Amino acid sequence: MTLLLAAIATHGLRTVLITLVPAHRLPALLRRGLPHLAPAALAGLVATALVTTTGPAAGSAVPGVTYAALAVAALVAWRSRHPALPVLAAVAVTVVAEVLA
Amino acid sequence: MSITERHTAPRGEIATAVRDLAPVALGLAPFALLIGVTGARSAAGAGTAVLSSVLLLGGSAQLTALTLLAGGASAGAVVATVALVNARFLLYAAALEPRFRDQPTWFRWLAPHFVVDPTYAMVAGRADLEDPARFRRYWLTAGGGLAAAWVAMTALGAVLAPVLPASAALTVAAPAMFLAMLVPHLRARAGRLAAVVAAVVAVLAAGLPDGLGLLAAITAGVVTATVAESLTDRSPS
Repeated sequence: MTLLLAAIATHGLRTVLITLVPAHRLPALLRRGLPHLAPAALAGLVATALVTTTGPAAGSAVPGVTYAALAVAALVAWRSRHPALPVLAAVAVTVVAEVLA
Repeated sequence: MSITERHTAPRGEIATAVRDLAPVALGLAPFALLIGVTGARSAAGAGTAVLSSVLLLGGSAQLTALTLLAGGASAGAVVATVALVNARFLLYAAALEPRFRDQPTWFRWLAPHFVVDPTYAMVAGRADLEDPARFRRYWLTAGGGLAAAWVAMTALGAVLAPVLPASAALTVAAPAMFLAMLVPHLRARAGRLAAVVAAVVAVLAAGLPDGLGLLAAITAGVVTATVAESLTDRSPS
């Protein structure tokens, strides 16, 4: 029941500016900011992941290894522009570091 | 078939969506596995983890909800926290609204369920989805495919939880995926500014509870880039 209520709240967030109060009725200043949303959100998600732990069941993430893995992922992303390769690179760096440790 | 015909055929958007989705789903698989593992190894339970993937479809909020449920938090606390963590979907929806404007009513009410970080990033920079029918086909394929893969991988994580070793590899996959999606946005000066400001604010505000730091970071990045762009437009060339 709790999850269902959370899902209704989340669906409300997803639909309110599409169906109930369409975003084209928002002030022009707000609409001008929307194209900058993607880089801000994605950078915020990456930075937040760098400074917080993500979950209790995944084992203890060593910050140094995480930073190194994401640095390699950034390099691969810059060179390849392929969405999956940076992930595979980051996972590979982490696994190798854990095996060596 | 000419390139134009191939591009306008219904199968074109579906094939494009599948092609775009494949690496994204592969990249997000470890994150979905982590949610299944987290649920199975906590008091929340494997079933709750899988159900959260179906109902919420948002990794950060799911992990938060599972942690709170396992700790015995009240329903009100869980719902309020999930809403705060998912508040960024409000911004994504505002940005995507032009694509939903001329769609059928059923689509405008149901299809926003697929509004989530990867799907938003997939369509944000695309100029070839202006036609409502094309966008609809692309969105349903990409969103539906992502949701199906997400639920399947969560279930797999729950099943494999007893045998999977504790590893940080699962936790590093999601930020690496977001990094891969971020890089194309850094070509534009405004994109770089928004990203740098958001990253700095996210680090500084990381201590805030319930995703408020992330929300503050996104807002700061968007506001700074918008103001900078306005100043640039006004300056004499």
